Amino acid sequence: MIELVNVRKVFNPKTVNENVAIKGLNLKIEKGEFVAVIGSNGAGKSTMLNLIAGILSPDGGQVLANGRDITALADYKRASFIGSVFQDPLSGTAKSLTIEENLAIALKRGHGRWFRKGVNRKNRQFFTEKLATLGLGLENRLKSNAGLLSGGQRQCLTLLMAVMANPEILLLDEHTAALDPKTAELVMSLTRKLVEEMNLTCLMVTHNMKQAIEFGSRIIMMHGGEVVVDVSGAERQGLKVADLMHMFEQVRGEGIEDDKLLLS
Amino acid sequence: MTTYALLGAVEHGLMFSLMALGVFLTFRALDFPDLSVDGSFPMGAAVCAVCITKGINPYAAVVAGGFAGAGLGFVTAFLNTKLKILNLLAGILTMIASYSVILRIMGMPNLPLLGYDTIFTPIENLGFSPQIAAIIFSACAAVLAGLFLIWFFHTDMGLALRATGDNMKMVRAQGISTDRMIFIGVSFSNGLVGLCGAIAAQSLGFSDVNMGIGTVVAGLASVIVGEAVLSSRSVLRAVIGVILGSMIYRMAIAYALSFQIGDFRFSPGDLNMITAVIVVAALTFPGMRRKVGVGK
Ligand SMILES: Nc1ncnc2c1ncn2[C@@H]1O[C@H](COP(=O)(O)OP(=O)(O)OP(=O)(O)O)[C@@H](O)[C@H]1O
Ligand SMILES: [Mg+2]
Repeated sequence: MIELVNVRKVFNPKTVNENVAIKGLNLKIEKGEFVAVIGSNGAGKSTMLNLIAGILSPDGGQVLANGRDITALADYKRASFIGSVFQDPLSGTAKSLTIEENLAIALKRGHGRWFRKGVNRKNRQFFTEKLATLGLGLENRLKSNAGLLSGGQRQCLTLLMAVMANPEILLLDEHTAALDPKTAELVMSLTRKLVEEMNLTCLMVTHNMKQAIEFGSRIIMMHGGEVVVDVSGAERQGLKVADLMHMFEQVRGEGIEDDKLLLS
Repeated sequence: MTTYALLGAVEHGLMFSLMALGVFLTFRALDFPDLSVDGSFPMGAAVCAVCITKGINPYAAVVAGGFAGAGLGFVTAFLNTKLKILNLLAGILTMIASYSVILRIMGMPNLPLLGYDTIFTPIENLGFSPQIAAIIFSACAAVLAGLFLIWFFHTDMGLALRATGDNMKMVRAQGISTDRMIFIGVSFSNGLVGLCGAIAAQSLGFSDVNMGIGTVVAGLASVIVGEAVLSSRSVLRAVIGVILGSMIYRMAIAYALSFQIGDFRFSPGDLNMITAVIVVAALTFPGMRRKVGVGK
């Protein structure tokens, strides 16, 4: 489905700020997997997602989708089969456009955009039905600007928009991190529902171990731009938050020891 | 203010609302501060004037002026998106270069159009004075341009364009090429400004290479005044606001010019200063500042 082959990403190369964010990353994600990605700050999780979405292009290696090399494919072209939701709830919707206009933009993903009316009676009906499933009453506010919604409401809308045009892959980068616990739970249950209904392959970055255990059919831990733990299948069964925490501490500890070695 | 001055302000307000709509399209809808507008205005005028002196139908000449303006916008978009030049600088470069091109096109700095039939002639032939004819034509042009923009902003392309000015990250995530939207928006905007220059040249009876100076600021002043009058919550209100703003702005200018304290009078040379003061006042007045964000 999605494959990273020996992918490297260096920020500010050949300067004092040179930063190897991803070093020789190999990762193969199968169709239908729900991959939970954990790891400390700066581990390279967002960078990896951005490399898959095409927002960043790698300095080495290849990105493949269904066996096709998409390394050079622009992010907006990948959007026809990849949907993404980011941490910032404001980043997924256009605030000065109405809710229905935002949805209309999402509906046309992967299609030509010419001089058809963006919102017509037929797709408005469709939007109403989709919004009603959220249970937030947004179906009665189709003509309100998206900027008037709360962060949680906007994140739900973003999620709906991310999957509106039936992508194959859904990328979630700490998409509940900015929300209060109750709203986060709402967004997570919506995520589960959409992923199951639409049979999506999903990559979700989270700092919440419980969430990772609960949702991930496969859990990977990143550190220093590499995948250091990758559990799935039988190993994944019976994995508890405590186990995950333990692995996390271990990896972090090793990291510090590495630094010590370098310094001595 | 005399009736003549008032009618003049109405005429100019309507006529220049085309230009103001163009400025609105880039500065507000697309969030692209495009300064090439100062070049596409005289470009539209020059191409139109040359066409007319070559005996081409004046209406066709206006369309040609519009396309010439759009061409400049295309160049600015190219500099910005393909060559990665900062948007402000891209516009300035196009504007500067256009000066030379306009001189080449006209062959002289000023091309008079006296004695030629203009777009206003058929209306004048119905028995209207030249000024009323210009008002009628400009009103039609303003309404048509306004309706067209309102329609456009609700099409799939228009939605994508507005979203580009709002949230580029979201737009790309939704499969839209932001470069394409910049090409479309900036060309379209400069096309409107070119049309406006062409109409203005026929109304003034000449085309001048320097007639574009201050176009951007005047356009921006109209947009801002419009936003202050009709808060621009919806596209409909915003577009109507721009046309109204253009008229109010021209009336304010006419009023300032008729103003007299003792021996002091403003001269037309003070116009740029007056415009700058109007813009600064509107921008720094706190209540207005919020509205200027156009739903941001
Ligand atoms: N645009 C950028 N320019 C320079 N360095 C960057 C950039 N984006 C990320 N980095 C660096 O790359 C490394 C990986 O960052 P990344 O954002 O992928 O981490 P992350 O795992 O998502 O962390 P977090 O949990 O804090 O979101 C960090 O060292 C970061 O400083
Ligand atoms: Mg991150």
